[in-house]
Amino acid sequence: MNVDYLVNSLYLIKPELAIASALVLLVLIDLIMGNNKKFLPYVAIAGLIAAAYFIIGQFGMNSLAFVSKSNKGMIIADPFGAFFKGIVVFASLFVVYFSIKSDEIKASFERHGEYYTLIFGMILGMFFMISASDLILIYISLELVSFSSYVLAGFTKTALRNSEAALKYVIYGGVSSGIMLFGISILYGITGSTNLYEINSLIQSSSIPNLTFILSGILIFVGIGYKISAAPFHFWTPDVYEGAPITITAFLSVASKAAGFALLIRFIKITFIKSVDSAGYWQLVDLIDWKTFFIFLSIITMTLGNFAALWQDNLKRMLAYSSIAHAGYLLLGMAVLSNQGMIAIIIYFAVYAITNLGAFFVVMLIANKIGSENIDDYKGLGYSQPFLGVSLAIFLISLTGLPPTAGFIGKLYLFIALVDAKMITLAVIALLNSVVALYYYIRVLKNLFLSRPANGTFEFKVSFSNGLVLVLLAAPIIILGIYFTPLVDLAKNSMQILGF
Amino acid sequence: MHVPIEYFLVLSAFMFITGVAGVLTRRNAIVIFMSVELMLNSANLTLVTFSSYIGNPVGQLFVFFVMTVAAAEAAVGLAIIIALFRNKQTMNVDEINILKW
Amino acid sequence: METNQLLSYILFTPLLGALLLLVFQRENENEIRIFGLSISVITFGLTLMVLSKFDSINPGFQFVHKVPWITNLNISYHVGIDGLSLLLLLLTTFITPLTLLSSWKAINKKVKEFTFFMLLLEVGMIGVFVSLDLFLFYVFWEAMLIPMYFIIGIWGGERRIYASVKFFLFTMTGSLIMLVAIIWLGVSAGGVVGHFTTDLVELYSVGPALAKNFQNWLFLAFALSFAIKIPLFPLHTWLPDAHVEAPTAGSIILAAVLLKMGTYGLIRFCLPLFPEAAITFAPFLSVLAVIGIIYGALVAMVQKDMKKLVAYSSVSHLGFVVLGIFAMTQESMQGAIIQMVNHGLSTGALFFLVGVIYERSHTREISDYGGLAKIVPVYSAALLIASLSSIGLPGLNGFIGEFLILLGAFKSPLLNTWGFTVFAATGVIFSAVYLLWMYQRVIFGVVKNPKMEHLPDMNKREIFIFASLLIFIVWIGVYPNTFLKISDRSTARVLIQVNTPVPREIPK
Repeated sequence: MNVDYLVNSLYLIKPELAIASALVLLVLIDLIMGNNKKFLPYVAIAGLIAAAYFIIGQFGMNSLAFVSKSNKGMIIADPFGAFFKGIVVFASLFVVYFSIKSDEIKASFERHGEYYTLIFGMILGMFFMISASDLILIYISLELVSFSSYVLAGFTKTALRNSEAALKYVIYGGVSSGIMLFGISILYGITGSTNLYEINSLIQSSSIPNLTFILSGILIFVGIGYKISAAPFHFWTPDVYEGAPITITAFLSVASKAAGFALLIRFIKITFIKSVDSAGYWQLVDLIDWKTFFIFLSIITMTLGNFAALWQDNLKRMLAYSSIAHAGYLLLGMAVLSNQGMIAIIIYFAVYAITNLGAFFVVMLIANKIGSENIDDYKGLGYSQPFLGVSLAIFLISLTGLPPTAGFIGKLYLFIALVDAKMITLAVIALLNSVVALYYYIRVLKNLFLSRPANGTFEFKVSFSNGLVLVLLAAPIIILGIYFTPLVDLAKNSMQILGF
Repeated sequence: MHVPIEYFLVLSAFMFITGVAGVLTRRNAIVIFMSVELMLNSANLTLVTFSSYIGNPVGQLFVFFVMTVAAAEAAVGLAIIIALFRNKQTMNVDEINILKW
Repeated sequence: METNQLLSYILFTPLLGALLLLVFQRENENEIRIFGLSISVITFGLTLMVLSKFDSINPGFQFVHKVPWITNLNISYHVGIDGLSLLLLLLTTFITPLTLLSSWKAINKKVKEFTFFMLLLEVGMIGVFVSLDLFLFYVFWEAMLIPMYFIIGIWGGERRIYASVKFFLFTMTGSLIMLVAIIWLGVSAGGVVGHFTTDLVELYSVGPALAKNFQNWLFLAFALSFAIKIPLFPLHTWLPDAHVEAPTAGSIILAAVLLKMGTYGLIRFCLPLFPEAAITFAPFLSVLAVIGIIYGALVAMVQKDMKKLVAYSSVSHLGFVVLGIFAMTQESMQGAIIQMVNHGLSTGALFFLVGVIYERSHTREISDYGGLAKIVPVYSAALLIASLSSIGLPGLNGFIGEFLILLGAFKSPLLNTWGFTVFAATGVIFSAVYLLWMYQRVIFGVVKNPKMEHLPDMNKREIFIFASLLIFIVWIGVYPNTFLKISDRSTARVLIQVNTPVPREIPK
């Protein structure tokens, strides 16, 4: 490997480099400036904008970085990765803004340096997770994301529920990544390689011990399933989402999940694919029946998420279960195993990201003022704070998937993919789940608008900048709900994975 | 002396299962962490075994990364346990129950 | 003004009005009321313009306006009307200003929001009746739920929250099933016309070409969604709750227009899209319709609450409409359409009158009243006319619809038995019993409650509203041809579509 080639490879990972430099810069500024921490978020935003700029450049790329004689390449730069990195950066920008405004985070002012550094650690990990094509890099990036998020979940260490959430997170995370690592070690033993492309060509050409292979595949899935909080690896989600600071909850529910899904799609598609037929259906190597696996997984995940959400009184916890349910819907898109399913996932995810960020932002703004996330404390909010109330209503309606919001478009494409694949029963199950979901979202709407305010607890003003950000999140939901061609075009361009 | 590969694999599988069992049954947070470490090390053993069996150095390379990750995990985990212990004076996961499990 | 864009003007006038309403100060309640009313009157005026240019000889869709919308999926903004939708469009735009007028005094909190939601609701209702693209139709169909949910939930009675949630969940379940069916239909279109489409005109050639069992499933999915909305027995349980708890304006709109969407959907989508399935299931649905007629009437008879009584009478009357649709003869279908309009007028009038008295005495219990004839003579006369119209007295509108339906069902080769007619006819008798009995208990007898002795009679505004309804009640009763001829050709077209299926192709 000569120097030129190395430099070329570095060009391919410019977004990652931008984030890494920003991370180092954050640590340095924190050290040098001492008590003056006001600049940190702005440095973070600058770093993110730089990364975003490089990511846009990646939409045109299709190549592997760090290729050597013994390895087919560690990192992929392709439109698919660029899309998910874009989601991560988008979410990060908002989360940094939320952090500036959050009272929870403001309270631990002296540790802001660590806070932003850890967020950037997570972003870096997610970027590598999204673009890795080698099991070693996959494992390490996964752990980088995990460690940073463990600490962030328990960031406000004085609050008991914070540290409790962090401990649960770390235990579940440790176990699932341990299981995943064991799976990787077995896969390495069977194929003699850690590169996904090499494993793919190997399992297509030579015979593989069937049972062991299935075992390793499932074990590896545990690690990914934990990141996307698919049942039955979801147990940490409600506790961590409820216990962590709201900014981090929002970040985990959007960015971390985006990285997880990107990894899942890449892992399945690159490792197991044989060919893609003309109608866009993936022919997989018939070692593991992923289709059945995903069908069952998605049914369990969405049903469990939706039904558990019914009993929740804490809005954060309810949104946690709803995010599990949404993971179930996204897995439906996986179960189709087709390009159409992937377009559906991408559209659904773009919408889900905007909506969820918005919902958590409103929850945060309210919690800042009334110090509660309990749904019953929201009674009559729509009257005294019509702007917040209407925004939250838009986000919740979009999460439910009703027209004319963008959430409906996500569901629409998902159903089209399912029906096209003749999986009508699954579509009907998903739809019945939507009805359950409707019930708990409506409960919040009911408290917002139909119940009378208990007392005058909502006497505060939404600042101009917060209002602007809220409009920035709510407007696209309505606009994309009515005119979604750009979103679909974006999705069609973003489904290009290197090699297939 | 030549030791067949099965011996290593059985040992590592045994270690892994011990680790999983430890996580599931133990109630002390520190012991749970030790069990997780055991799981990671069983994977390390498998990687090294296969690496030498196949004659491909990638596995051994991987082990170095895993060791670093394990160290980092222990550090983060212990830090969180200490933070919790300061607030709650317990290390028993059964008593950590503000958030329902 | 371009004639083919006229429908879009009708559709977007209330939407524009709703948006403009947002700039009003909420304190200026009267300005808001007047503004909302003028917007809805303008909309009605535009609809009359459509009526004047409508060509009732032409059986096809008129005033068609098509603009590509989502090119990826061949979804377009495609609107147009035929005689059937024109009648319902007229009903909608006619009833909306009246409801706004009827709630002039009754709604005195959050007037701005109320007017906003009413205008939004009008957009949804108009949209449902003019859409010629299933996707567009579905968007309006669902989007309408949200304003209705808030209208019941914010301005409703005691158990308004329960009622609004129940209403929302019932209709949502149905419409989600319809969504899957729409997508399924759109995807199967690929096998017939070569691409995914939700365009109704294109799908008219797709649906009948599908294999029988496909048709059956799709028909059931659509029919379930519409049956919940109608509501057809045994899916009617949300209706009494929603009606009783809704404010008067909500009840009127619900009865007059929202329920018609279900029956409209049956005629517009279920029959022409899946003719074979429709013929298969017609006897079955007719049986449900007849059960609904009798059940609704019997339950109405024992109600103590006036509003609930009227609500159950709706179940009974819409049973007639469904029977008329599935008897599939020219007479019965025409009867069903005219009965849809009739029910909108008479039941709307009944709900309005119940609202009028409730505003004054704050009770809806029949037993609290008595002897109103002496206290409020004008009101008593109005209630009598409305009841008689609902019963189906010859000379008033209800008679025409029910007579045509019964005649059509009797002649129907599809149902092929007079049993349906006989059982349905008992519904007419029952309706006379429960309505006249209620009338007798409320209007005649002695005044039970001393507070009632000083009830003011209907004021000019209320008399105006009732008079407007009365004109059409009498008009349809005396000279129904004005209205029948509008929908005559469209009905004939639907029947042709049902009876002559396109030669079958095997879907992919």
